[in-house]
Amino acid sequence: MNHLGDEEMVELYYEEGTSAYEAHLKACRQCSAQYAEFKRSLDAIAEVPMPQRSADYGDRVWANLKPGLIPYQKRTAGWHAWTNWRTAAVVACCAFALAAVFLGGRYWERFATKTTAVASNPQAAQRVVVVVLTDHLDRSERMLVQLEHAASNDPRDNTELQSEARDLLASNRLYRVTASNAGDPEMAGALDHLEGVLAEIANDPDLNAADIERVRRDMNTKGILFEIRVLRSRGSDKENGRRTAKGATIL
Amino acid sequence: MQESDHSIVRAVLAGNKDAYGALVRAHSATVFRVAFRIIGDEADAEDIVQEAFLRGYQRLESYQGRSTFGTWIYRIAVNCALNRIGQADIKAEFRHGDESDPREKTVQLAAREADPERVLLSGEISAAQGLAMQRLTPTEKSAFVLRHLEDRSMVEIAEILEIAPNAAKQAVFRAVQKLRRELAPLRGNA
Repeated sequence: MNHLGDEEMVELYYEEGTSAYEAHLKACRQCSAQYAEFKRSLDAIAEVPMPQRSADYGDRVWANLKPGLIPYQKRTAGWHAWTNWRTAAVVACCAFALAAVFLGGRYWERFATKTTAVASNPQAAQRVVVVVLTDHLDRSERMLVQLEHAASNDPRDNTELQSEARDLLASNRLYRVTASNAGDPEMAGALDHLEGVLAEIANDPDLNAADIERVRRDMNTKGILFEIRVLRSRGSDKENGRRTAKGATIL
Repeated sequence: MQESDHSIVRAVLAGNKDAYGALVRAHSATVFRVAFRIIGDEADAEDIVQEAFLRGYQRLESYQGRSTFGTWIYRIAVNCALNRIGQADIKAEFRHGDESDPREKTVQLAAREADPERVLLSGEISAAQGLAMQRLTPTEKSAFVLRHLEDRSMVEIAEILEIAPNAAKQAVFRAVQKLRRELAPLRGNA
């Protein structure tokens, strides 16, 4: 087994390492000495003395909070609470709903056949997923390219980059979980790496050139960009293959 | 406690505002503790406690009872603290100076050749530690506090910070690296 690196030592320190690490420590004097120094350094990071709260702290918090809270509406309100205008509004809504149902019914048969055809076609559904994911990868690639070239020290200049990272972060999480559940470790792994970068960019309170450089260096954004490009081309290949197989052009 | 918290939440949603007081009393100390550990300032931590419980009340309808109320409000508090870290007045709390002076909020980082006894002064060490912590990104700082001081697992940290477990692990790892690097001069003299 190779010598333990910092990452393995962090895992070992927080008791998340494997027993193989412990066995190596027992066998390797060099790693054992390094780990002892590593452990001392982390043990020394002690807590700043915690200000004590009195027993009535919760009462004080509640006393400050209570006046500003508006009670939730009781869900079991009686009919007496209904005023005339509310009744009128409900009647109008019911009438509108009835009209919508009637008109919807008339058009239903016309569109039902087409809808059923699309819904019952798993290839069509999968195509939608591929297109949506390709779009996500396209956007991620653009953001990473932008990140590679960002050099402004003024956080305001990086607002757009952060905004895009926040947008992508939410959807990336969904795609990562979906890829993981679908048994696609390559995609899940790449999205996992991407998520770390997105989280760093999105959560930085005043993103400047130094922060961006740190993210680029620490998180190997070039490598992630490469991964994303490979995955995007894989998606495009799938899509193109499907088009060729069907002998038709799908837009 | 969990079942009782759930029934209190139902009571609050049914219009009994005062019932929320029981949740505030039960969880205030925990929320204060994590807020203080992340933010490092007593007054700001108290503000975060207020903000977290206010947000919790406003979003109570979205609480689905999959976790305990304590865990749910804890997550909200960590997010409030993360947002708060961005404020300039907290970021600039400590800076390098010729001498350590808590009133001036400056800290002198010991050189390797400095007097060991001086280095070991606990106030100086904790100030240097505070400075090193301030240099972490919000995600790194929160992840480190949750792992090192709050003893949360990587999976829990990932859930709380709403990031992937691997991203949480990497954030802790980067924080440890940076802190060790920043505090190396103190270790050299200790």
